[in-house]
Amino acid sequence: MTTTPAAPERESDDYLPAAVKETRADRIVLICNYTALGLFSLAVLYPLVYVLSAAFSEPRNVQSGEVWLWPVGLSLESFRSIFDYDGIVRGFGNSVVYAIGGALLATALTLLAAYPLSRRDLPGKGLILGLFLFTMMFNGGLIPNYLVVDRTGLLDTRWAMILPTAMAVWNVIITRTYFQTTIPEELAESARVDGCSDIGFFWRVVLPLSKPIIAVNLLFYAVAQWNSWFNALIYLTSEHLFPLQLVLRQILVQSNVDPSQVRDVAELLRMKELQEQLKFSLIVIATIPPLLVYPFVQKHFVKGAMVGSLQG
Amino acid sequence: MQPAVRTGRIRRRTFVAGAAGLTAATTSGLLSGCGPDEAVGASPESLAAPPATPGPKLGGIPYPDGYVGPVARKLGPIVTEPTKFVVVVPQDLTVGDWAKNKFTKWLEQRTGITIEFRQIAGADEDVTIKVNAMIAAGDIPDAFMGVNFSKSQLYLYGAQNLFVDQTPYTDKYAPNLQQMFRDYPLAKKLATSPDGNVYVYPSFNDCYHCRAGKSRTWINTRWLKQVGLAMPKTTDEFREVLRAFKKADPAGRGRTLPFVGYKEDGTNQVTVDKFVMNAFLYNPTSPWLVVDGGKVNAAYSQDGWREGLKYLRTLYAEGLLNRDAFSMTAEQLQRAGNNKDGPLLGVFQGNYWGSAMDVDVEDPTARWHDYEALPPLEGPDGFRVANWDHYTGFDPRLVITRKCRRPDLLVRWADFQLDLEVMMAAYAGPGSWSFAKRGDKAISGKQALFGISGTWAPDKTKDTWAQRNPNYRSGDFRLSERVDPTKPTFEKPLYEQTRDRYFPYRVPIEQQFPPVALEGDQAALDASLSLDLSGEVVQTMARFVTGKGDPADDGQWNDYLGRLDKIGLRPYLDIQQAAYESFQG
Repeated sequence: MTTTPAAPERESDDYLPAAVKETRADRIVLICNYTALGLFSLAVLYPLVYVLSAAFSEPRNVQSGEVWLWPVGLSLESFRSIFDYDGIVRGFGNSVVYAIGGALLATALTLLAAYPLSRRDLPGKGLILGLFLFTMMFNGGLIPNYLVVDRTGLLDTRWAMILPTAMAVWNVIITRTYFQTTIPEELAESARVDGCSDIGFFWRVVLPLSKPIIAVNLLFYAVAQWNSWFNALIYLTSEHLFPLQLVLRQILVQSNVDPSQVRDVAELLRMKELQEQLKFSLIVIATIPPLLVYPFVQKHFVKGAMVGSLQG
Repeated sequence: MQPAVRTGRIRRRTFVAGAAGLTAATTSGLLSGCGPDEAVGASPESLAAPPATPGPKLGGIPYPDGYVGPVARKLGPIVTEPTKFVVVVPQDLTVGDWAKNKFTKWLEQRTGITIEFRQIAGADEDVTIKVNAMIAAGDIPDAFMGVNFSKSQLYLYGAQNLFVDQTPYTDKYAPNLQQMFRDYPLAKKLATSPDGNVYVYPSFNDCYHCRAGKSRTWINTRWLKQVGLAMPKTTDEFREVLRAFKKADPAGRGRTLPFVGYKEDGTNQVTVDKFVMNAFLYNPTSPWLVVDGGKVNAAYSQDGWREGLKYLRTLYAEGLLNRDAFSMTAEQLQRAGNNKDGPLLGVFQGNYWGSAMDVDVEDPTARWHDYEALPPLEGPDGFRVANWDHYTGFDPRLVITRKCRRPDLLVRWADFQLDLEVMMAAYAGPGSWSFAKRGDKAISGKQALFGISGTWAPDKTKDTWAQRNPNYRSGDFRLSERVDPTKPTFEKPLYEQTRDRYFPYRVPIEQQFPPVALEGDQAALDASLSLDLSGEVVQTMARFVTGKGDPADDGQWNDYLGRLDKIGLRPYLDIQQAAYESFQG
């Protein structure tokens, strides 16, 4: 963190005073930079480490404030108690289904929408894009959406988590830009000369060239699904369909009650214990899947998002 | 109401109504979105059956002398042919999946009524959003159970004919509820909307210790002995005790917190004023409304409030009140309360010990045993009152909608649950409780009526309804729970200390502002004014107490009163006055 490459050696050479002066200034800037960045990364890292340590500590020690960096009284108790709540285990499974299913469907839709829009020869392109953009700015709101989901018979089914708002216009725009910048029109022309149909071109040429943007889309959609709870709250009424985030939220809100309203102190105590036990281990469990997926997608991710964002 | 077509194309009108409902869930246009093609309202056969007569009381049950409360009777099924209702319930971790819950099956077997549960997850606000969406979209169940509708909401939806007036059904088919209303006339009054209708099958929980819970305060008696002082009786003695705590510094290294203020979880209210103010004037805590000879007033604009602020300011100036009294979180308080190498807390406000520390009922030397309830203090003018909630206990439980064809059956289903045995099965889980034996001692010190296996209801077996259903927990019932002499819970000391230290000083019921129902537009105005006013009150309290302002300065005090007026204290009080008068009838 504190190594300042090359700069010190040049300073010791001491045959270009002006340059030395500059490097000293450079060094100060560099040190400031590293200090600031170090502090930032500490600020980001500390909560992560704390949550991990708290999850692996005796709940009592977390409560009394003894855990501040490393686990105190190593214990897997809180992880074990997760499995006493079948809602959590089932919620985890549901979230996996929603994340994978949602990501696949949404990515497919995004590619299918973005590719035609990237072609210059699509008639009415501006209008279609305008309509897409309109829905990005304005939407019907909660109750019209609820009506649509209700009347289409999706209410309280898994589809309610995946179908409504499956495709994000934002992703369509990024993907379209990616196509525009990486797939030249000439490629399409030469393919057509060789007798390739539009669909064939999309399938055999465009898709193989678009792995980075596909990875980006999959990751964006999967993480969004994984973190979402509001649609589940509004559209689902059967506990066995609830995603993990909703269960997690339930645990947090239910133990956070106005104490003067609780007529049964034993009940309050029970919720308090539950929350203490589960809070941190649940956060760890809920964070693991995105963390696991991220490294595999990351190399595409940076590339894809960068390229897509080059031109508007 | 315009009946919309449920299937097929959605009408524009429905959309518009829905959108209106989103922005203002309290507008009356909201219902035009509902009205499915099924027939609406109760069928004529709902009132055809003869009135229900209560079954004979079961014998051999050790009711304490003079017992008032739910009793066990011989029960038969409510229906003979399969009957099903759709009921919306909040999700509850203790209940688990309502459809698979053990008591759900138990009750279904005994009543013959099947419930299709729709479960809503999340906090109360989330449930409200979802319920509003359902209502606006016309996706209406037969009933809502355990959804916390406010009195204003009940009145609003009732007046819109969405919720059913249950009076004709409960009069005829709910003998247990009638009994409860006779035992607790207040329960009936609280269940009745300003139009005289009862849109809810209520639950009543006569929780004795809850009545003092909003201001109950705890003092470290071990420290009290250590500094050789008696339990303080006046504000001056209280200050002496705090000074002694600070001087003796039992926690060491100046870590002693003689009197600690913090922000409550859930409500986010500050706690500094809750106890001490009652030595200067009656402080009912937020929203600080009091009734003074039939006139509704706000405690925070009174002279007594000003005197209280001056007193608190001196405590803060001497370092007897913690520096972060207005920003400390409940979690930080727990940390201080549970501090490993000895207690840090002298005096803290909290519903019970668990507000500040772990409550270990099995360890007789656990720290919470050192803390005892601090009786209300006498102020310099001889004023002393205990903030006592006379109206606690009422909960809206079962709300039947006009979608329901047979409200009579749902009312009988609810009334079934007020039977002592059914109630216990719902509360503790079928088979997890038993009647007490003759000679068993209860919380009240008298003969016990029932006992729960284990310290309290089991939590991981998913066999209770966690009191989300109709209940009749009378005072006698609650206090007749058996106390296991080998494993005493905190219920008994909590009851006794409340009875001995707060009840004698309780504020008269005439001075307490009751829970009232407001009409639609007034409810919205009330909500916004109440929020702004309480923001101003807390901010000014913090400034005055921490010495950034001085309540003794006439200019500053008048500025504060001026700001309250500007926010709209007068119209706010007018709304409350009208609602109060309508409540009193």
